[in-house]
Amino acid sequence: MEDTNGKKILYLLASRAVKPARFIEIYRSNNGDLEKTLKFFLKYKALKLKFEDDEENPGISSGDGIFSTEAVNCTAGKGVGLLDIGQDSYPDILKNIYSPPPLLFFKGDKIKEAKFCIAVVGSRKCTAYGKEAARYISKNLSRMGITVVSGVAIGVDSCAHEAALGEKGGTIGVLGCGIDIIYPPENKYLYENIPENGSIVTEFIPGTPPLKSNFPVRNRIISGLCKGTVVIEAGEKSGAIITGEMALRQNREVFAVPGNIFNAMSRGCHWLIKNGAKLVEKVDDILEEFTIYSERILKSSEGCRGSSKQAANSEIQKGLTAGESRVYEFLGYRPKSVEEIVRDIKMDVREVLRILTLLEIKKLIREDSFNKYSRLF
Amino acid sequence: MFFKLHSFTLIGIDALDVCVEVHISRGMPEFIIVGLPGKAVNESRQRVRSAIINSGFDFPIKKIIVNLSPADIKKDGSFYDLPIAISILAVSGQIKSGVFKGSYFIGELSLDGSINPVRGLISMAERVSSSGGKYFFVPYSIADQASFIPGIKIIACKNLLEVAEALSGGTQIERFIYKNTGTRGQSSCSNLDFKDVKGQFKAKRALEIAASGRHNIILMGPPGSGKTMLAQRAVSIMPELELKECIEVTKIYSLYQKYINCLIRQRPFRNPHHTVSRMGLIGGGVVPKPGEISLAHKGLLFLDEFSQFPANLIEDLRQPLENRKVIITRNNMSYSFPCNFMLIVATNPCYCGYFGDGSRKCICSLREVKKFWKKMSGPIMDRIDMRVTVARLPESSFIKTEDSEGSDNIRERVKKCMIIQKERFEDEDISYNSEIGNNVINQWLKSSKKIRDLIYTISKKYRLTARGMVSILKVSRTIADLEESGIIKESHIIEAVQYRVGYNQDSLT
Repeated sequence: MEDTNGKKILYLLASRAVKPARFIEIYRSNNGDLEKTLKFFLKYKALKLKFEDDEENPGISSGDGIFSTEAVNCTAGKGVGLLDIGQDSYPDILKNIYSPPPLLFFKGDKIKEAKFCIAVVGSRKCTAYGKEAARYISKNLSRMGITVVSGVAIGVDSCAHEAALGEKGGTIGVLGCGIDIIYPPENKYLYENIPENGSIVTEFIPGTPPLKSNFPVRNRIISGLCKGTVVIEAGEKSGAIITGEMALRQNREVFAVPGNIFNAMSRGCHWLIKNGAKLVEKVDDILEEFTIYSERILKSSEGCRGSSKQAANSEIQKGLTAGESRVYEFLGYRPKSVEEIVRDIKMDVREVLRILTLLEIKKLIREDSFNKYSRLF
Repeated sequence: MFFKLHSFTLIGIDALDVCVEVHISRGMPEFIIVGLPGKAVNESRQRVRSAIINSGFDFPIKKIIVNLSPADIKKDGSFYDLPIAISILAVSGQIKSGVFKGSYFIGELSLDGSINPVRGLISMAERVSSSGGKYFFVPYSIADQASFIPGIKIIACKNLLEVAEALSGGTQIERFIYKNTGTRGQSSCSNLDFKDVKGQFKAKRALEIAASGRHNIILMGPPGSGKTMLAQRAVSIMPELELKECIEVTKIYSLYQKYINCLIRQRPFRNPHHTVSRMGLIGGGVVPKPGEISLAHKGLLFLDEFSQFPANLIEDLRQPLENRKVIITRNNMSYSFPCNFMLIVATNPCYCGYFGDGSRKCICSLREVKKFWKKMSGPIMDRIDMRVTVARLPESSFIKTEDSEGSDNIRERVKKCMIIQKERFEDEDISYNSEIGNNVINQWLKSSKKIRDLIYTISKKYRLTARGMVSILKVSRTIADLEESGIIKESHIIEAVQYRVGYNQDSLT
């Protein structure tokens, strides 16, 4: 692979003698000339890179030797590519953020091709509603050829990836650890499936463990890759809120999906909305903000936008039996317990339980917490 | 001079015939017991001598050898006192009787000659009956428990003199035959009633189904949701034990308690603390005794704070749950204790306890919640058909004064359901819906396309495993029985789903 610049940057960073931020600083002061930047660093004798002497057996003579050999071994073969900031395929939109990563590791080529990305992020500990919303929005975005970017975490993230994967736009997962490390382990299937119609991307050198401090750093790439960030179900101090704030700082659009006012998991989203984020009900709400793109996109995807679900549901409601609609009518958007249902509509508990299962199968209601139900639509 | 008499030793909960043989010869006065006597058996020499003398008989001043045959089985316990004393009196000619053949003796002697209660009496009575004995001489104070064994006559004596009197011939023995009053123990003395539980309709209904089909059940909910309260009342909706079951249960309990003067009629409810030892839970010891799982035989074993039980104890439950008995091998012997119990497990849903609670935030990470569940899942969870979430009640429910249904009503329904199952499984070696095999379930599925389609929809919606679906089908069979329906209807399955899947089910598995 003719990618010596990328390798050089890798050695520099792996040696830990140069921090990415310092690299970008010098890179920018050289007006984006990568050759010059590299020369600048090589001027230091201490940083004499071994690969200059020995093309066959590259490595680094100073710094942490183990770290660097591991890094080299991991990128060789195994389908891991290097994308340095000097390359044309490095996303322009990411170049523009305050501190872009000088080097990206990736699996799957989507990162080079994706023109229009939207981030879909949210809580790991989300409710059924959050998952539903993540799937709904990601699927429809991807269907229109928009790439959905998220953080490969459990909860909202994995739902977003999963839903977007099957459609045109594909998905990009940004990691908070080295590309050779599968974290969280539950999402192994995403690591395997995403490269088929998307990319797994990270700025962290192979072998980097998923440290707590990595994730806020990673979040700037998620928002940086995207023209807008959609936040679904975030607690008051969650990482998704940080991503939203990053997006604002990077001058990108921030969207938030509203939730139940009684649910603590919606606090963060509501806070964002109060502070100016756009409320999202359907995909059109997102597209409206990007007129240049949406014109084209709308044309190409006639009829497959998320049609108003509400209309369809009144149809479903007509198909309910008397008992079912009684329970459905009684349930509101505030969760109600089985006790309340039994007591207030004076129905036998057996009957109530049966109806609750049926309505749940019909996807009209959901269980919010133990034995407490509310309407989904 | 030689004489022999029938008595017993206990192997686990079963009695084994032991012959008490006495030989008196001339020589230095001596009193020896052979045949692997334990400490208590050896000490019986002192008790026997005093009791005989204090009852006004003569203790022969000769060389006395007592052999307990079979001589290669270790004997322990104080119940050989009476047979040894009677043998000595008989061999020395102080008692003469025609009924020694076919008579069995058991009892511990006081120094004054009175007869004290012993352990395991009911097992021995059963043995007398099965080996064709006629009379069984027992301590008076506990005679009632043995009196329900058919085919034998219980001779209840208060002291050694009465035994001698009963043996003195003629119709004397008739005087001492114990006649039970016909009542089997006390009726349900527990004052715990489902009436006291407010709300929790779902959990109550689930327990009714569980008790009817003997399905193991896990109650999961935040602290203060009433899991323990519900479980403690579960036994109040189970019908009383039948005579056969009474005898089985009393056999186990009489190994522990000497003073059971009547049959145990109420279903056992055992609630071991989570610090219980392996021996205490499963059974064991130098002379193996039944553990909590056997003490819960035919009743309920309730493991509160299930997550606190050590993992190895939980794993130990696997085989007993499957086989309904536990086999313990000690001292070159295998002891088998029955343990056909229904398991109720109560646990919080996570470390902090508030996962899935609507009003209080759970402070565990999702990883921790999963870790919490990992500890419990696996083979034991597979054997638990019903998983029911119990939520904390809204404050308004406590204020409402209306009465909920009492245990008596529910018990009638459970009883009816058990009878239906009994009829269905008459020719099989199972007695409850929870024991139904997969082949039967496949037949149900084959017979109805509607049910097949429904099962498919449900398993897709809730991402259920095959095992989960089998559990749902078993539970729906019980629901159908409760409604006295011959076939499983769709509504039964739909209700059963509620007792298997719960909040955030897919994120936990």
